[in-house]
Amino acid sequence: MAKKAVATDSNTPSTSPSGMSEPDDASNVASNTSVLRQPAEELFAHELDELIKADKHPKPTGWKMSPRSVLTYIVGGKCGNLTITPKYVGHDRLVEIAISTLVTDRALLLIGEPGTAKSWLSEHLSAAINGDSTKVVQGTAGTTEEQIRYTWNYAMLIAHGPSQQALVKSPIFRAMEAGAIARFEEITRCASEVQDAMISLLSEKRISVPELANEIPAQKGFSVIATANTRDRGVNDMSAALKRRFNLIVLPTPAKIETEIEIVTNRVRELASNLDLRAELPAADVVEKVVTIFRELRTGQTLDGKNKLKTSSGVLSTAEAISLLANSMALAGNFGTGTIGDDDIAAGLQGSVVKDEEKDKVVWSEYLNNVMKKRGAQWRGLYKSCSEHNA
Amino acid sequence: METDTAIESTPLVKIFGVRHLSPMGAWQLRRFLDEVKPTAVLIEGLADAGDLIADITRRDTKLPIAVLAYTQSPPVRTLVYPLARYSPEYQALCWATEHDVHVDFIDLPSDVFLALQDLRYREPVEHEPVEPDPAANDPDEPVPPENTPPENTLPENISPDNAPSDNAPSDNASPGNTSAPGKLERLGPENRISLYTQVATKMGEADYESYWERNFEHNRSTNSYRLACLEFGRGLRELDQGLPLGYAENLVREAFMRRRIVETIAAGHDPEKIVAIVGAYHASALTHQQAAMTDDELASLKRLPSKLTLMPYSYFKLSSQSGYGAGNEAPAYFELIWDALESQRLSEVPMRYLTMVARDLRRVGTHRSTAEVIEGVRLARTLSAMKDGMAPTLRDLQDAAVTVIGHGERSSIQEALARVEVGTEIGSLPAGVSRTSIQDDFDRELERLKLVKYRTAVKQDLALDLRENRQAKSEASAFLDLHRSSWLHRLSLLGVQFGMPARTRQDAATWAENWILQWSPEVEIALVESVLLGETVELAASFKFKTMLDECDSIDGASAAVSLACKCGLFDSLELARARLQELATDCTAFVAIAHAANELAMVIRYGDVRRFDPQPLVPLVDQLFVQGSLALFATANCDNNAAALATVGMEELNRVSQEYHDIVDETLWIEQLKRLSDSDDRNPLLSGYACSILLERSLMDSAQLAREVSRRLSPGIPADLGAGWFEGMSKRNRYALLARQALWEQLADYVSSLDDEQFKRALVFLRRAFGNFSPAEKRSIAENLGQYWGVAADNLSELLEQPMTEKEEAALNDLNDFDFGDV
Repeated sequence: MAKKAVATDSNTPSTSPSGMSEPDDASNVASNTSVLRQPAEELFAHELDELIKADKHPKPTGWKMSPRSVLTYIVGGKCGNLTITPKYVGHDRLVEIAISTLVTDRALLLIGEPGTAKSWLSEHLSAAINGDSTKVVQGTAGTTEEQIRYTWNYAMLIAHGPSQQALVKSPIFRAMEAGAIARFEEITRCASEVQDAMISLLSEKRISVPELANEIPAQKGFSVIATANTRDRGVNDMSAALKRRFNLIVLPTPAKIETEIEIVTNRVRELASNLDLRAELPAADVVEKVVTIFRELRTGQTLDGKNKLKTSSGVLSTAEAISLLANSMALAGNFGTGTIGDDDIAAGLQGSVVKDEEKDKVVWSEYLNNVMKKRGAQWRGLYKSCSEHNA
Repeated sequence: METDTAIESTPLVKIFGVRHLSPMGAWQLRRFLDEVKPTAVLIEGLADAGDLIADITRRDTKLPIAVLAYTQSPPVRTLVYPLARYSPEYQALCWATEHDVHVDFIDLPSDVFLALQDLRYREPVEHEPVEPDPAANDPDEPVPPENTPPENTLPENISPDNAPSDNAPSDNASPGNTSAPGKLERLGPENRISLYTQVATKMGEADYESYWERNFEHNRSTNSYRLACLEFGRGLRELDQGLPLGYAENLVREAFMRRRIVETIAAGHDPEKIVAIVGAYHASALTHQQAAMTDDELASLKRLPSKLTLMPYSYFKLSSQSGYGAGNEAPAYFELIWDALESQRLSEVPMRYLTMVARDLRRVGTHRSTAEVIEGVRLARTLSAMKDGMAPTLRDLQDAAVTVIGHGERSSIQEALARVEVGTEIGSLPAGVSRTSIQDDFDRELERLKLVKYRTAVKQDLALDLRENRQAKSEASAFLDLHRSSWLHRLSLLGVQFGMPARTRQDAATWAENWILQWSPEVEIALVESVLLGETVELAASFKFKTMLDECDSIDGASAAVSLACKCGLFDSLELARARLQELATDCTAFVAIAHAANELAMVIRYGDVRRFDPQPLVPLVDQLFVQGSLALFATANCDNNAAALATVGMEELNRVSQEYHDIVDETLWIEQLKRLSDSDDRNPLLSGYACSILLERSLMDSAQLAREVSRRLSPGIPADLGAGWFEGMSKRNRYALLARQALWEQLADYVSSLDDEQFKRALVFLRRAFGNFSPAEKRSIAENLGQYWGVAADNLSELLEQPMTEKEEAALNDLNDFDFGDV
């Protein structure tokens, strides 16, 4: 019987543990229509299951699969008959280093400019390692130390005094108990004092609750993946002591335009099916144009390196290109022809590039006139629409 | 082909395939030799280099060194075979010497090799397809330096300058040469690269070096290396087909190696007691089933007469970071592995490496803790484990170092990594060991000039004071710096990059010179190649100088040569250069060139004192040039404004000569010519103005004359561009001379007010240009002058002038941009 069940499993790609998802046309991506955004472990449950099933290498304690399978899950590859979609493209070695870091029980810090897939990578890493990417602390300027350690259910605290029941554990607390990965998003947005709460957690690997007079040691498999921005307003530098407890990986922007186009195309496709955008996927040349503009304005020179350009104050990350295209699809689907036109793109570009009115407007119009205008007929339509928007 | 059949065939003798510069190869080879106890050790290397073995293994020879083969006549071709302590070949040589057994090199002799290499230079010209570099084929082959592009047209070029680049690649050269494959990878053309990368990719490695290190450099089990190499070589041969030239070359070499092996057997050695050490690629080709080269075949090979020498080498050169292929990427790291192997501590390599990185960072002031080193080692081990490796490879270590020690930023530890991986090690040879005469001369001079301590790979500054040191007792020490300077200039004339001139703070000081000295293997190679020009540095420099002079056909070049000869202290050559210059000068009428040459010569004469030579022979030539220049001035002045700009430089130079050497040149003539130019109305007004200003500066024109001239030049009716152009030329020189003359400004003011609208616009353009680079202080003086004339308080006027322009004025000026200047 059991055998049979397995066989059916592999035929129907829809076997997430919850059994909730519908079979999905040939894609590995299960879709759940009511939730706006599913966590990675549900979205890619099928791939994860297959990888776990096929895994022959030893698993570190607390891990659901071996480091190699985690690598395959993230960078893509083959698992039996199933093609694993790449989640993070272009820098496989960085992923290897990230996974190795977690194997050595070191905490991992992913840093990079906004939109370089830090959170994305962190989510998928924890989804693959634990099958659970939801133990997250979302760092803000208002994050307090309690949110990192624990807090109390005050009604119970007052009624019964300190007790296990009254204890409200933070995601990191829970991860330590379970021997799992906790994620700490945007760690540099927290005040320095709050960040420093992590220092002892990471070096002692135990959390003490003096009110209950006990101390909870972390189980094997516990680690933290933190992400931090390098270029943004309102970030607090990390102390050297805290930095020293992390292995730092700097996530670069995609090195090659082909990689970036691939990333954008894939993510837009996924988003479109998740969000039910009723428009055609952007054509290859549209993606290429957007990515080209973004890269050129980001690096301050044309792709061929012949012209120097001013850079805009916006970050113009890959992530932004993705949302721009998704946005254009929404515009085209709901208010337009259903096909992305130059006008839809132009509206998005205007919003992405021109963040700081005066200065960026000049940058953008210089770019339009000095670069885009001279690119010939293919770009003419886009040039006109952009110029109108920028007028 | 032979290779295919070879697979099943029996080897002639015991074969040990290696990658050149492979520590594990060297270590296992020694154990293999201990086990086999051969009576003869044969090594892939230039057959005629046998005489050098004694010197290579001498106790006071410090590696890395290289065997250098070079052609005896142009075109210069060189081959370099670097050897490091961890080269299997070197260890084999040492083993054989220690055990006193027969040892010899069995690859083609250098004359044949160089001829083959020569062929490569030519081949590509005939048909393109061959281009894929032959070197690529053979992993270990001592590749001619050439992998440099075939399009390299220097074949006939003697110039040592090219030498370094030539040789560079040569590092590939065999024995020493690095891992074969590595080299290939770097040197070979694209498709080759992909071949090796393919191998690596198949094994899940990002690059070939990691593949090699992971699979070959960490496995200490007996025979693992030898057997793996044999297989690897076979695999390569199968993949490597279809590059006619290189492939054929390998076959020739292997046939010759078989011949040498057969000879050794014939000499009475038991085949079981002979060990042949060759590149992995050749390991499977030395079998009974393949024919050895016959006498006829050997005789039919083309040869280029050649010589061999040893030279010190450096890790920097060995590493590809120096920009040339060849070698290992990380010689110091490989040496670390070698030392660890020797002391049975291979497993400590990661700790040592990362500790060294951290220490290096601390040394320059960046604190990194031991805890971070420990975490780095753990990370490197995990990275390696993900590939099932036995130990972390260099790449794992680098990535771990970046992540943990560098906090994610490679740039912050790049320098430390380079120091730990590449190192600054330089080899040395005991005095008198097989060297060319020019190398000996170089060393003698180093000693004589007390520069020995500069013979390092680290850049060092040297400041020279060419003047006599009056406290010194002997003449040699009194003029030590002068001799040093001459010698360094000679070296750079030869293209030997031992010293690079650095900027002097005091431009005008004729007695000060700054140099940056740095020794590198390229220096040695360039030196050796210079031996073709002469037996000593001085002779070679003279010869080179003469060749240069013969080719020189411009007066500029000849005057530069004169000054070069002076700097090099080649006073015999100086006379040659002078004669050549004089010859060229006779026919020359180009004012600017003549003026430049005269000035250059004048400088040389000025140097005379310091450089201790008698400038008298040059004096008549300066005079001759001066007269020619003076006479050419007037004719030259009939030119457009672009040419006039150059001519002003020439006038300035001649004027300087006339002032500095008024006792030897015909100053009167010069002044006459200036006056003539200044007075004439049909020459370029800018030059006329410039001549006038020179006269003014030299007080050869009084205020009355000036006033008359100004009024003549600026009289109404003269086209504004002429008048203002003249003024522009006038204002190019000593402005204080102008500012001090009130009459001038009065004239100018009157002139401007006399112009009609159209004329004013024209004049405005020229005057703006003329005054454009006056400083604010100078402008204020002008304002004062004018104020005095107009009877306005200077302050008010100056304030008025310095006010920012109003919009209306700006618009008016903008309109001027549209003004049609016609031919102006």
